[in-house]
Amino acid sequence: MMQYSWALYAREVKRFQKILLDTLLSPIVSLLLYLSVFGVILGNSFVFGIPYVSYVYVGLLTMSLVNASFSNPAFALVIGKNLGTNVDLQVVPLRPFGIAFAYAFAAATRGMLTLVVAVLITVWFVPSITILNPLLLIVTLVMTGLLFGCLGVIFGAYAKNFEALTFVTSFVLQPMIFLAGTFYPISSLPGFWQTVAAWNPVHHVMNAVRYSVFGISDSNVFVSYGVLVGLLGIVLVLSHVFTKKFLYR
Amino acid sequence: MKYALEIKGVTKEFDGGKGKFTALDNLSFSIEQGKIHGLLGPNGAGKSTLISLITGMQRPTSGSLFVFGVDVVKDPQAAKKLIGIVPQELVIEAAFTVYEVLYYFAGMNGVPVQNRKQKIEEVLASLDLLDKINERARSLSGGMKRRLMVAKAMLHDPKLLILDEPTAGVDVSLRQKMWEVVRTLHEKGTSVLFTTHYLEEAEQLCETVTVINKGKVIKDGNLKDLQREFSKELISFELYKPDVAHAAGVYKEGNEFHVVYKDLADDMRTLIAHYGDNIKTIKSGAASLESIFLTLTK
Repeated sequence: MMQYSWALYAREVKRFQKILLDTLLSPIVSLLLYLSVFGVILGNSFVFGIPYVSYVYVGLLTMSLVNASFSNPAFALVIGKNLGTNVDLQVVPLRPFGIAFAYAFAAATRGMLTLVVAVLITVWFVPSITILNPLLLIVTLVMTGLLFGCLGVIFGAYAKNFEALTFVTSFVLQPMIFLAGTFYPISSLPGFWQTVAAWNPVHHVMNAVRYSVFGISDSNVFVSYGVLVGLLGIVLVLSHVFTKKFLYR
Repeated sequence: MKYALEIKGVTKEFDGGKGKFTALDNLSFSIEQGKIHGLLGPNGAGKSTLISLITGMQRPTSGSLFVFGVDVVKDPQAAKKLIGIVPQELVIEAAFTVYEVLYYFAGMNGVPVQNRKQKIEEVLASLDLLDKINERARSLSGGMKRRLMVAKAMLHDPKLLILDEPTAGVDVSLRQKMWEVVRTLHEKGTSVLFTTHYLEEAEQLCETVTVINKGKVIKDGNLKDLQREFSKELISFELYKPDVAHAAGVYKEGNEFHVVYKDLADDMRTLIAHYGDNIKTIKSGAASLESIFLTLTK
């Protein structure tokens, strides 16, 4: 069955390659805009002894990965529902988890590609960064891509139209990213918001990525990795369940 | 294994706003291997629902379906490997070329990478689409898109090909081409199930038919037997003034009126007594599939 899922994975990778400019341009422009704004305003400050620009740069890259991984399957599935092309998923001999995982891995691939190209283009604008643990960083990024890829599958399978998906992106995902310590350490937030941020899974993703790059952490890094691994397990199961329930009718 | 498809006591209910709606009601029939079988019925009869159950897209509320002996409900993946489906709606991945559409769909149906190119070219050639292989799928005409849908269904050499209204909205020459493709597949041993609104098509292609209405089988069997059975029982007549009160059991088809009779002489006398000199012509003759269909589904 691996071969069947691989074909679906390859198709989804091909799909975003068809719109490569849209796929890459938007997150890179956003990244450069954020960098220029934060670089000008807070360029001389430090966080945990690290230049703020480097600190926020890693957060912004992680944000690009999260957004790209989530939107790839979510929009592909909702477009498929609207055009009727999801019927292809229903008639081929693929099991629901084979479909869900193919979409999630394609999403992670898009997220990683976006991140790599964004780094190649923007790394010249930030102070040099020495990655403390490259292997841990790669594992963390792949897990993050898969986590949000699975969430994209879940919402893509569930959402009936683009309005529902836009609602989730604008009113759930973006606030979570902004409350995750993407732009600042959560310890600088007022007490109540620190508690909210500590319960925010995106914060633990940010914390794990920053730990693997800088060796610093905003909160307990073992909790962050525990949350990342635990959530990944949950969303892998849920992506199968939602695909079975909503794509198989 | 004798049957390509066996449907046993299948019921499908949907939860609607006004309670449960029964789309298929204890439906049973079977298709022998290697046959071209027509599934006929008016709009809303349950044909598309039945196809979605056969292809594993939906599950029946009760009953069972077997494709070449494989239980569709218990092992939908194994059943899907045996089935090729051409859905009614023209749905094509707009971003891809014809080759890409077929390449990935073939992969999703288990066609090995090394065989895909050859298989795609072979299928496209059989449908006169080979020259469009590198064109964007969305730029194809309606008829070409329809053929592309058929190509998708043929890629993995299914043992049972299901065509849901395959010639809806296509011109006469393309329809003839489709029939040719179906016949060629049939000659190679593929079993075919198709639904159609063009009864002439069913008469041309089918060996056996099942007529369903309101989710129930109302007639099932060999097409020739069905025609023979009904041709014995039909009186057809034309009227000078058609807008009159009609005798019991009379129905209209084009300019003609028909009635199924039990006794030819008695029923002729009854009709002549009822219509009198309003009758322009009257005869008993072979029923077309269309008149059989109308008789069965009215």
